[in-house]
Amino acid sequence: MAQKRENWGSRLGIIMAVAGSAIGLGNFLRFPAKAASNGGGAFMIPYLVALFLLGIPLIWIEWTLGRFGGGFGHGTAPGIFHNLLQKNRFIKYFGVIGIFGPLVIFTYYAFIESWTLAYSVFSLTGRYSGLADQAGMQSFLRGFQGIEHNQYFNGLGPAYLFFVITFALNIWVIYNGIKGGIERFCKWAMPLLFICGVVLLLRVFTLGAPDPAKPDWNIYNGLGFMWNPDFSALFSAKVWLEAAGQIFFTLSVGIGVILTYASYLSKGDDVVLSGLTAASTNEIAEVILGGSIIIPAAFVFFGPGDIQSIARSGVFNLGFVTMPLVLNKLPWPAIFGFIWFFLLFLAGITSAVSLAQPAVTFLEDEFNISRKKAVVIFGVVTFILCQPAIFFLKNGVVDELDFWGGTFFLVLCAAIETVLFVWVFGMDKAWDEIHKGADLNIPRIYKFIIKYITPLFLLAILGAWLWQEWIPIISMQKVNAVDRPFVLAVRIGIFLIIAVLAVLIKIAWKKKKRQAESKV
Amino acid sequence: MNAGGWLLFGVTWGIIIILATFCFMKVFSKKELK
Repeated sequence: MAQKRENWGSRLGIIMAVAGSAIGLGNFLRFPAKAASNGGGAFMIPYLVALFLLGIPLIWIEWTLGRFGGGFGHGTAPGIFHNLLQKNRFIKYFGVIGIFGPLVIFTYYAFIESWTLAYSVFSLTGRYSGLADQAGMQSFLRGFQGIEHNQYFNGLGPAYLFFVITFALNIWVIYNGIKGGIERFCKWAMPLLFICGVVLLLRVFTLGAPDPAKPDWNIYNGLGFMWNPDFSALFSAKVWLEAAGQIFFTLSVGIGVILTYASYLSKGDDVVLSGLTAASTNEIAEVILGGSIIIPAAFVFFGPGDIQSIARSGVFNLGFVTMPLVLNKLPWPAIFGFIWFFLLFLAGITSAVSLAQPAVTFLEDEFNISRKKAVVIFGVVTFILCQPAIFFLKNGVVDELDFWGGTFFLVLCAAIETVLFVWVFGMDKAWDEIHKGADLNIPRIYKFIIKYITPLFLLAILGAWLWQEWIPIISMQKVNAVDRPFVLAVRIGIFLIIAVLAVLIKIAWKKKKRQAESKV
Repeated sequence: MNAGGWLLFGVTWGIIIILATFCFMKVFSKKELK
């Protein structure tokens, strides 16, 4: 007999959980770097256009698909696609992407999440407090990551210890279920995250010009670096694609997580208002907090000469090198350092647990396994799968996993689900499905946007990536010769994961068919 | 920060804060999950 599926305990609970999934390290590190390097304030024009034409429609599509699938007892893409297309025999295999994506992202995200916990502790204990320049802080980070042996770290031991603690925390949250684990955790973690963000925002806004000898290195000019528009950027297709890509990743669409979370809603529960609220919560974290902390603060301490290279130095450099250096120059560096890294840790853990959920839900729904057993299986398998990201970080393993799991398949998954929902299921039926139990009427213009503009936007992103990146990536042009075997091994591993998931889908459906026949 | 920067800063913050406030006001005034 199929087990009873869980439900969310409250509307605020699912909103906080979805917002927690969307708010991650990218909100505080990727967004400000992208905006500052792509036209400053002018970047916000394509960003907002993409939010309203791509992001919000996809949010509504995924929430609706999730609730729809949940009604049939399916919380992941294979089952949802199967029911969407009149039980077509093959369509369920496209749903592999909806489990593969979050699973693969989890295998490296959990390790990165553990750095934020480690640095929270290092801040409080003053482990990096004596470091005052980029070179020293970079060396500290590389030592911690096990990339080099130096005076700060003599191996991966500390990083591995923090990884095990973080991994166990993630598993513990999921083990306690949707309502008792994820919802309960997100309901206190998200307000705490916002409190940390507001404290840092106020601290940055009151920096003034800390060095009297350099009055131009002030917070207004720091905000200016972030917001002064370069309208010529609007004529660059790259800037529009970067903005669309940022919206895509920040809202956690295309991963499969929203499908799974929304599947724990009941048939008559609203998805329009809840989805929009979760998206706007994410935007507060990204634009208001993320856009106002790291780049303006770095400008104040490093000045206009260095800020360009800092903004382009990459996400890890911004978060784990530049920001601790900035905070080291403030009074109470231990406290503010801790707040910064704990903020990132909360953003990380609320995202990581959401990444784990689709695979767990797949085992529960399709194999009728109890939640606790499913979490144990997930824990054992992903603990093993996490090891390459930890031990071969320096060989480009994380970058490769991030490209496939966290970039390419996301857009592909979103494109598939949009086409299925809008064009195969049918726009009129889709529109009615979205509005079931809705507490907000979507303006009718969105019927046109969802049917034509959103799919075109997705195809444009996918096409542009294929055009610009496909050949260099497939042929590993940007990969060092010494790292190529590792990248190749990752690709073989990715292929195997996809194959195993496809076989599991086949077995699950065969089993269900046999059960249905034996009942008859 | 120049005038263009302030304008875009104000408009973007405005849109996002108004959207979030509107959503949360509606959420708190509407029914709970079934």
